[in-house]
Amino acid sequence: MTEQVLSPQGQQCLQALMRVWFEFERQLGRVPLLQRLDRGQFSKADYCQLLINWRQQVIEGSRWISRCASSFDRDYSDVRSVIIGHAREEHRDYEMLEQDYVAAGGALTDIQKAARNIGTEALHGFLMYRASQSNPVDLVGAMWIIEGLGQKMASDWAAQIDKSTGGDGSFTRFMRYHGANDDDHLQKLYQLLDRLCQNPSQLAAIVRTARVTARLYCLQLEEVDNEY
Amino acid sequence: MSVFITCSGHFLPGPPITNDQMEPLLGLVHGKPSRLKRRILQSNGIKTRHYAIDANHNTTISNAGMAAKAAEHCLSESFLGKRQIKMLSAATSQGDVVLPGFGSMLQAELGLSDIELHSSHGICSSSMMALKAAYTNLLAGEQTNALVVASELTSRLFKASRYEAAGSELDFNAEFLRWMLSDGAGALLLENQPRGKCFRVDWIRSFSHADAYPVCMSVGYPGNSSDSRSWQDYATYAEAEAAGALLIRQDVRLLENIVKLGVDGYLRLISEGRVQPAQVDHVLCHYSSHYFRGKIFDMMQRAGVGIAEDKWYSNLYSRGNTGCASIFIMLDEFRRSQPHQVGDTILCMVPESGRFNNAYMQLTVVEA
Repeated sequence: MTEQVLSPQGQQCLQALMRVWFEFERQLGRVPLLQRLDRGQFSKADYCQLLINWRQQVIEGSRWISRCASSFDRDYSDVRSVIIGHAREEHRDYEMLEQDYVAAGGALTDIQKAARNIGTEALHGFLMYRASQSNPVDLVGAMWIIEGLGQKMASDWAAQIDKSTGGDGSFTRFMRYHGANDDDHLQKLYQLLDRLCQNPSQLAAIVRTARVTARLYCLQLEEVDNEY
Repeated sequence: MSVFITCSGHFLPGPPITNDQMEPLLGLVHGKPSRLKRRILQSNGIKTRHYAIDANHNTTISNAGMAAKAAEHCLSESFLGKRQIKMLSAATSQGDVVLPGFGSMLQAELGLSDIELHSSHGICSSSMMALKAAYTNLLAGEQTNALVVASELTSRLFKASRYEAAGSELDFNAEFLRWMLSDGAGALLLENQPRGKCFRVDWIRSFSHADAYPVCMSVGYPGNSSDSRSWQDYATYAEAEAAGALLIRQDVRLLENIVKLGVDGYLRLISEGRVQPAQVDHVLCHYSSHYFRGKIFDMMQRAGVGIAEDKWYSNLYSRGNTGCASIFIMLDEFRRSQPHQVGDTILCMVPESGRFNNAYMQLTVVEA
């Protein structure tokens, strides 16, 4: 494997982000819903509940990423191009998620009228706020977490969900789809890191945003079990 | 005050057993050859290993017996006689008896008198925990020397009859380790003074993540994951065995976590300033299979903190994966066979998959 992040600053940032990711995975390992998934004690109803909670985040996700793109000024037009491309690719992903929900036995109106959970509120609020700042370089930290999660869904969760719910992949398409362009996305992320992390304060901001995103993402997943 | 590894020794029972000799020795389960063997052996890269059982499944030497041989090998080349040993710190994943502690059995086998004793229990990292207990004992000035011994006799779990007793189905997770683990023992002598050319222990650290991950390697649970009984919860041990609760299992799906957790600890130690990748001259990593070596190597490389391939040393391929004994057997053979200069830095890593405990140690070559 070749080293994809070349500048020393970028490399340092990558090391710190890897540690944030590993810590995030351990946090995920403590989420009751995911512990049940791991033990194979995870029902189709659990899965539907997860999708209901996830949908809002996917919808909001496409919004903050678009706003993030628009907040980069002309000095960062190259970055803007990359992010616009990314936003364009993913901004209607929630439709696939809705189809999975229906394929798993849920009613379309149920998922469409579901509100954001507490964690999603916090995550969305934070990301929209950061995306509204000018030149929000730190958001590459949020992308790192969310991209990593996409891979984890595809390589790990989708198969486990199918296994414990007796599925054949027909209602885990959204999760699986995220693994399809892994390498390409990761490569783009490495390039962004190299481009956006050029001094220690940018490094600290990127890592901090990654940490906050990870924590709030976990909160969102913890909240799946809570009904209000 | 510093602590030094002034001598080392090892014991590997019987002749080296090649891949082709393994199954005839361990036995055909239900009379049928394994369909997984070739794939697992190809992935772990091990060519020869040793067993303390023979083809008739007689135990040729006990676990405590092997540990004693390794300790004697170590002491025979040291400046100390048995009577001068102050502390014994012993590790194994499974002693010959359930109780008492492995250290007690080893002490008796070795004939050490009036020592301070420590037994450490776990899987691959238990040797590092035993080493750390001895190391801190010396650092605190409690003792002036300690013998640290790690030994494994897992082959007893791999006899065909064990699998047959657990029923007709043999699942991948229960068979996996049959083609991975083997027997052996290693010993290190720790002293509070250097002797000749020896290793100074710079630090020993471990990070355990059992709270965040499920069990990955175990003996004591039945194969059915919805049954949470342990082997001791059955009415009789015969029922536990029939339920497969005495088989050694690896949850292969979880195993990949070992790579990132291994690298995670390494990155932590770098940010703490304990490890400086450019200063490391030798890496001794107890990876269970060649497959994982590549993965760990790649991830370190990707993070920009890789260590050149020619600095990595392992004798996994010829001595086998001997669990907690591996790192000591590796260090012993390194000391005897690999060129190393005064001032060289040696980084030892033991990522354990049991429930994810990762241990690290840095040594510096010194000369008294």
